[in-house]
Amino acid sequence: MAILKITNLEEHDEHTVVFPPFSLEVFAGETAAVHTNTNVRNVLLSMFMGSMPISDGEIRVNEISAAIDKRKFLANIGIFSLNDGLYERLTVKENFSFYKNLYGSEISVEEGLRAVQLDAERNQQVRKLSYSQKRRVHFGRMLFKNPALFIFEEPDQNIDLETKSVFIKLIRKLCQNGKGVLILTGNLESALAVTSRVYRLGETGLQELDVLQDEPDTAAQEQHADLLNGETPAVQPVRFEKVPTKVNDKIVLFDPPEIDYIESSDGQSNIYIKGEVYPSVFTLAELERKLHPYGFFRCHRSYIVNLQKVREVVTWTRNSFTLVLNDASKSSIPLSKGKMAELKEMLGLK
Amino acid sequence: MTFSMKRSMAILYKDYKDVSKNLYVSTTVLLPLVMAAIYGRMGIEAIDTHYMVINMIFSLVAAYVQCSLIAEEKEKNTLRGLMLSPASTLEILFGKSLLSFISTIAVIIIAAFLTGYNPDNVIIVGMAIILSAVFYIGVGTLLGLLTKSVMEASVVILPIMMIFSFGSFLTPFIEKYPVLKFIEYLPNLQLIELANQVEAGAGLADVWFHLAVIIVWTAAVFALVVAVYKKRMMD
Repeated sequence: MAILKITNLEEHDEHTVVFPPFSLEVFAGETAAVHTNTNVRNVLLSMFMGSMPISDGEIRVNEISAAIDKRKFLANIGIFSLNDGLYERLTVKENFSFYKNLYGSEISVEEGLRAVQLDAERNQQVRKLSYSQKRRVHFGRMLFKNPALFIFEEPDQNIDLETKSVFIKLIRKLCQNGKGVLILTGNLESALAVTSRVYRLGETGLQELDVLQDEPDTAAQEQHADLLNGETPAVQPVRFEKVPTKVNDKIVLFDPPEIDYIESSDGQSNIYIKGEVYPSVFTLAELERKLHPYGFFRCHRSYIVNLQKVREVVTWTRNSFTLVLNDASKSSIPLSKGKMAELKEMLGLK
Repeated sequence: MTFSMKRSMAILYKDYKDVSKNLYVSTTVLLPLVMAAIYGRMGIEAIDTHYMVINMIFSLVAAYVQCSLIAEEKEKNTLRGLMLSPASTLEILFGKSLLSFISTIAVIIIAAFLTGYNPDNVIIVGMAIILSAVFYIGVGTLLGLLTKSVMEASVVILPIMMIFSFGSFLTPFIEKYPVLKFIEYLPNLQLIELANQVEAGAGLADVWFHLAVIIVWTAAVFALVVAVYKKRMMD
C-alpha cells in the first residue's frame, strides 16, 4: 500500500504555473527525493501542513487526506522543516522527554539521544548547541513522533559531516522499518546521497531522473563470468540515446531534449539543464557527434547548443553574433562567424 | 477526541522548566510580592488596597506570564510544532494555562499572608478569585496569540495593567460622568465590590450577581481565544 499518494496535484499562482498536475506515490520502505526550487518546496510544505488549501488534486497519507480527517492526516506525517523552533532554554534531555510525553512515544529518551548521537550533550541547553546539533535535536523529535511518512526539507543544508552521516543512517533505518520518506531539496547532490529515486518538479511538471548506481564490483564480476563462459556479449540492438553526467559517484542520465546547451571549460564539458550545471564524461567533440541527430549544433569552438531552445539570433555587427535561448535565465551563447553560414543552411535560409 | 492529561502535564512540566531558567519572566512574579510586603509593613487595612495588590498580581502574573509564554512559543516558532502534534486545542490551551494559574494562586496566597488579608468568607472570595484568575489567563492567552514576540507582548500588557490594577481609581469619576457607568462592570471592580460585601457579612445569595458578571467576562474571553487560535492555526 502506498504511504503517500499524490494525485493530480497542481498549483497556479495568478498567471504563473507553480507546478502542473503531477502524481507521485511513495510506498512503505521507500525514499523518494524531489529536486525543486524554494518556491515549489514552500508551496508543497504548506499544502502538507494544511495552511494552504489544495485547489486541484489530492494528497493522501495512508489513504487519509486532510479533507477527511485533518488530525489523523497530521498525525501520520512528520515534517523536518527548516524553520521550526526548539525550546532553547531547555536541555536536550528535557526537550526529548517533553516530546516523548507529548507524542506518547514508546522510544525511551536514552534511545532517542543515542540515535541522533547527542549523548554527550544531553545536559546542555539547546541554545548552546551548534546549528548541526540543533538539527539533530529536530531529527530526534521526528523519531519520537514516529509518523508513517517523514518529510524532510533540505535535510543536509549547512550541516557538518557527522550530522550528515547520522541523517543518512537514520533515513536508511526508517526505510527498513517500513516508513515512507520524502525529501524536498534544491540540491541534487543531497538527494542523490540518500536515494536513487529522484524526481525533478518545476513548471514543466514532474520528471524522474534516471540514476544508475556505480557498482564496479558487480559489473566486473559479470564480465568475468562472461569470459569464463566464452560467450561474446550479445550486441545491443537498442540505440543508446541518453547523455550521462556524473554527480559524485553516481551517473545521472538526461534525455537530449532536456539539455539547453553544453559549454567546455578547461577541457571539461559541462551540460546546462534548467540553470544547473552537470559535468559530462565526454569531450565536446564526442558529444557533438552523439547529439547531432537531436538537433544540436556546434555554434562555437567551446559550445554546443540545442537548436530547439534557441529563441533568437542577435547580430551585433557584421561578424559577431549571439544566440539567445528561451530558458529561464535567457542565456546567451556566442556564435562564431564561420558557423553562421552553416546555421543558416540548417535553418533553410540561403 | 479524548482529553489526555498526560500531554497537558508534559506541556506544564516543560513550561515550568523553561520559566525557571527565564529570569525575565520569573522576576516579574516577585514584583507584586515586594509590593505586598511593603503594604503589609505599612499596616493598611482597607479592602481596596488589598485588592490593588491582588489585581496587580492578576495582570502581572496571570495575564503577563501567560502572554509571554504564548508569545515566546510564537516567536521561537514552536507553537506550530505544538499545533501539528497530536495534542488537541483544548489540551494545548489547558497545559499552557496551568503554570500561570498555579503561580497566580500561589502568589495570591503568599501576598494575602503578607498584607494580612483575611476574608470573612474564604469560600466565596476564593471562588471569585479563581474565576478572575481564569479570566486574566484568558486575556493573557489572547494577547499572546495576537502579538508576535515577547517584546511586543510586554508593551501590549501595559494598558491592560493600567486598567485592571488601578481601575479602582476610576470609581470617583463614575458619579461625575454617568457615561462611564460601564466601568462598574469591569471584572476587577466587580471583584472588589464582591469582597466589600463579603466583608460586610453577605452570603452567596447576595453576591451571585458579581460572580455571574465575572463568569460572563471569562466565557467571552475564552470564546475569543478559541476563535483567534483556530484562525492562527491556518497561517
